[in-house]
Amino acid sequence: MTDVSNKIREEAGKLLEKGEVDVIIGFEKGSIPLSATPCFIRNEADIEKLIWNEYCGNNLSLYLSKARGKIGIIAKGCDTRAIVELIKEKQVQRERIVIIGVPCEGMLDRKRIMIRCQSRNITGIEDQGRQLLITGDSLNVAVEKDEFFYPACQVCANRNPVMCDVFIGNTIEEQKTDEFTDVTDFNEKPSEERWAYITDEIDRCIRCYACRNACPLCYCKECFVDATQPQWVGKTIEQSDTLSFHIMRSIHLAGRCIECGACERACPVMVDIRKLNRKMSADVKNMFGYKTGLDIDQPAPLSVFKPDDSEEFILDI
Amino acid sequence: MGNKETSWEPKIIAFLCNWCSYAGADLAGVGRMQYPANVRVIRVPCSGRISPFFILSSLQNGADGVLVSGCHPGDCHYLTGNYSARRKFALLKSQLEHIGIEKERVQFTWVSASEGGKFAEVINRVTETVKALGPAKRLVKKCL
Amino acid sequence: MDYRIIKKSKITEYLNNLINEYVIFAPIEKDDIVLYDRIKSGDEVILDYSNSVNSPKEAVIPQLETLISCKNNEDITCVKEHLDEQKRFLLFGARPCDARSLLFLDKVFNDEKCRDVYYMNRRNALTIISLGCTRPQETCFCTTTGGSPFSSEGSDLLFVDIGDDYIIQVITEKGAELVEKLDLENTQNDELTKMDIVINKSKARIEPEMELKILKDKLDSSFEGSAWEILTEKCLSCGICTYHCPTCHCFDMIDEETKGKVERIRLWDSCQFPHFTMQTSGFNPRPTYKERYRQRIMHKFSYCFDNYNMAGCVGCGRCVSQCPVNLDIRQVLTAFYGKHEEIRL
Ligand code: SF4
Ligand code: SF4
Ligand code: SF4
Ligand code: SF4
Ligand code: FES
Repeated sequence: MTDVSNKIREEAGKLLEKGEVDVIIGFEKGSIPLSATPCFIRNEADIEKLIWNEYCGNNLSLYLSKARGKIGIIAKGCDTRAIVELIKEKQVQRERIVIIGVPCEGMLDRKRIMIRCQSRNITGIEDQGRQLLITGDSLNVAVEKDEFFYPACQVCANRNPVMCDVFIGNTIEEQKTDEFTDVTDFNEKPSEERWAYITDEIDRCIRCYACRNACPLCYCKECFVDATQPQWVGKTIEQSDTLSFHIMRSIHLAGRCIECGACERACPVMVDIRKLNRKMSADVKNMFGYKTGLDIDQPAPLSVFKPDDSEEFILDI
Repeated sequence: MGNKETSWEPKIIAFLCNWCSYAGADLAGVGRMQYPANVRVIRVPCSGRISPFFILSSLQNGADGVLVSGCHPGDCHYLTGNYSARRKFALLKSQLEHIGIEKERVQFTWVSASEGGKFAEVINRVTETVKALGPAKRLVKKCL
Repeated sequence: MDYRIIKKSKITEYLNNLINEYVIFAPIEKDDIVLYDRIKSGDEVILDYSNSVNSPKEAVIPQLETLISCKNNEDITCVKEHLDEQKRFLLFGARPCDARSLLFLDKVFNDEKCRDVYYMNRRNALTIISLGCTRPQETCFCTTTGGSPFSSEGSDLLFVDIGDDYIIQVITEKGAELVEKLDLENTQNDELTKMDIVINKSKARIEPEMELKILKDKLDSSFEGSAWEILTEKCLSCGICTYHCPTCHCFDMIDEETKGKVERIRLWDSCQFPHFTMQTSGFNPRPTYKERYRQRIMHKFSYCFDNYNMAGCVGCGRCVSQCPVNLDIRQVLTAFYGKHEEIRL
C-alpha cells in the first residue's frame, strides 16, 4: 500500500508541476480509525497528504461534475466505470480529466468493523495482511478482512480500472462474480419473504438522502424526490413514501448504476439499498445485454430499443 | 365485515393511449360488449408518456391494480413511443415483483383501435386476476 | 445529593415494572445497529453500548408528527388538533451529552415568546435516566462543549457503573419520585468512593480542546473568506449530520391528503439540503455546500451563544462518526481556532 501511495504522490506531483491539472482529487488520512477521506490537492506542497489504503471506499467521481478546471482523479475500478457513464452522459468532458487508475482488491467496511469492535475506542491497529489485530479500550479482536469487504466489493467484476491515463501498480486478477447469483437467490424466495425483507430495511430509512448524494450518477440538479411541482413522492417517512423513493431511484439508475456501492456505504443506518439497484443491473444485462460503465460508445439501454425486445411480460390475449 | 369482503370490488386504473387503446375501449362501448366496471380510465397521448411514477402513485393511493395499454409495436402514432416504454415497463414490472409486490397487480398490453373485443377481454382478465388477489396491501399509503 | 444503588441484574425487572405506566425509550440493537427506540420489554435494552446511531430527540421531536387533521363528515368539516394527553415517557439509558441536548431543545421550543405546545406536551411527560460514560469514544468531545462524561445536566437520574451495580444520583424532583416508586436501597460510603474513582478516570480521558468563547469570536470574524470553501469541499450536503444530531431541530410543514383526510404534518428538515433555503423566486441564499455547512457551524457555535448562551452542540460525536466523507466537525473548529495547520488555497 505504501508503494502505491508513493507512486500516486509521484504521478500527482508531476501532473500538478507540469500544470496538466489544476486539482488532484484523491484520499488523505481520515480523522478517525479505519478511515480515509476525500481531499482536493491544488498545491504541490500538499502532495504528501495523498494516501492509498483499504479505506478509500468513497467514489470520488461524484466530485467531477462539481469541480472546476482540469482535474486529476484517483480512481478504482468502480470509479472508472462511473467516469465512463459520466462522460457518456456529458457530465464531464474526457479532455478535462486525467484518470490515475489504481487496481483495488476490495475496500473494508468501517461500520461493520466498528460494530465488531462494539464501537469502542481503538488505540492500535496492526495489519497482518489478511487480518487486522485491533486493540483498544477493553478491546482485543482479530478481524478477518475477507469477512469485512463491502458487499459491493465482494461481487465486483471490475477491480482494475476500465479506462485510465496513468496506471498505478499491477493489474490484478478479476473475480468471477458476474452472474448476479445474489439477485437470483433473492428472487427465489417467496414473495412474502421478499416483501418482509425489503420493508424491514426500508423502515429504518430516515430519508437523509446520503445514498443519493454519495452516488456518482445521481447528479440531477433537482432530484424528483425534492420536486414539488408536481410532487412525485410524498415527503413523509411512511413506508409507502420511502419505498416509492427507493423504487424510483432504482428505476432512474437502471442502466446507469455502476454497482460501486457508494450508496450503501453512505447510509447511516445500513439500509440494503443495493438489493434494488442490483436487480436493475441484472435485468438490464439479461434483458438488453448491457453492462454499465464499460464501453464509452455503447448507448444507454433506456435511450434505445430493439424492435424485437422481449415481450414476455406483456399480457397477451 | 364478512359481507364487505364478499362484495369487495377492486379498483383498477387503466392508462390508455389516446390513439389506440382508448379508441378500442370506445369501440367496445359502442359494440355493447360486456366488461366489468372496475376500471377508471386515464387517457394519455402515448404509452411513452407514462412515467413509472404514474403507476407507483396509483398503487400508493389505493389502486388494487394498474393496467397500461398502448398501440401494438410498430403502430405507435409517434413511431417509437411504445418501444421505449416497453423497456421501462419491463424493468418496473420486474422490480415491483422483486421487492414482493404481486406481479399481477401491474399489467401491460397492446390494444389497437379496432380491437374492441380484445379490450373487453383484457379488462375481464385483469379484473379477475386482481379480484383473486384481494385488496392491495403492499405499498398502499396509510393515513398517519 | 441523594444516592441510591441498584443491581445491574435487576434492571430488566425494574423496567418491566414500569412499562405499563411509561412509554419507555431505550437503546436497543436492531439489525446490528444500536438505536434508541420504544421498547416493549425490559430485556430488549442493551446497557453495554457506546452510543446509539440515532439521537433520542425522537422522543420529543419525532421525525414525523401530525399537528392537525381535517376531514369532511357529511357536510361538516371537522378539524382535529392532535394534542392528546401524553402518557408518561421514560428515556432510559441516554448518554449525558444527549440528556444535555434536551436542555438545549428546551431553550428553543420552550421560549417565553413562542412556546411549542406539541413539544411541551411530550417534554412535560418525560423523565430522563442517563447512563454516565465509563468508556468515552474516540469521537466524543463533550467536555469541549461544556459537558462531561458524567454531567448530570438535563438528567433526572444519572446512573454510574461501578461493576455489578449502578450508583444512582438523584438529580431532580421527578427523579426522586421515580426512585421512591422503585424503592431502591441507599448507598454505602465505599460505593461512593468507587463511584468517584470511575468518574475521575473517565473525565481525565477527554480534555476540552478549545475555549468556546474564543472560538465564537474567531468564527464571527471569519464568516467571509475562502477557508470555508476549502474545508467543506468534500461535503455531500446530505442530511446525516443534522438528522442524527441531538440538538438539530429544523422542521418543515406539509399538508398531506390521504383518502379524503388532510393532515398537517411536521417533519424534520435539514439546513444541509439545497431546498431548505430555496425561495419561490428561485433564488437560493445558500446555494452550495459551503454556505450550508457554514450555517451549521455558525448556528451551533456562534448564533446559539447569542440567543441561548449555550453551544448548539453537545459533543456527542455522531456527525463525526457517521459522515460518509469524514468531514470532522472538530477539525473544522480547530482550523478556525488556529491550532490547525494553515489552510491553503
Ligand atoms: S442513506 Fe440510508 S437512511 Fe439516508 S435516505 Fe438513503 S437509505 Fe435512507
Ligand atoms: S446507485 Fe449505488 S451502486 Fe449504483 S452507482 Fe449509485 S452509488 Fe453506486
Ligand atoms: S458534513 Fe457529512 S454528514 Fe453533514 S451534510 Fe456534509 S457529507 Fe453529509
Ligand atoms: S453537531 Fe455533531 S457532535 Fe455536536 S451535538 Fe450535533 S451530532 Fe453531536
Ligand atoms: S401513440 Fe399509442 S403507444 Fe405511442
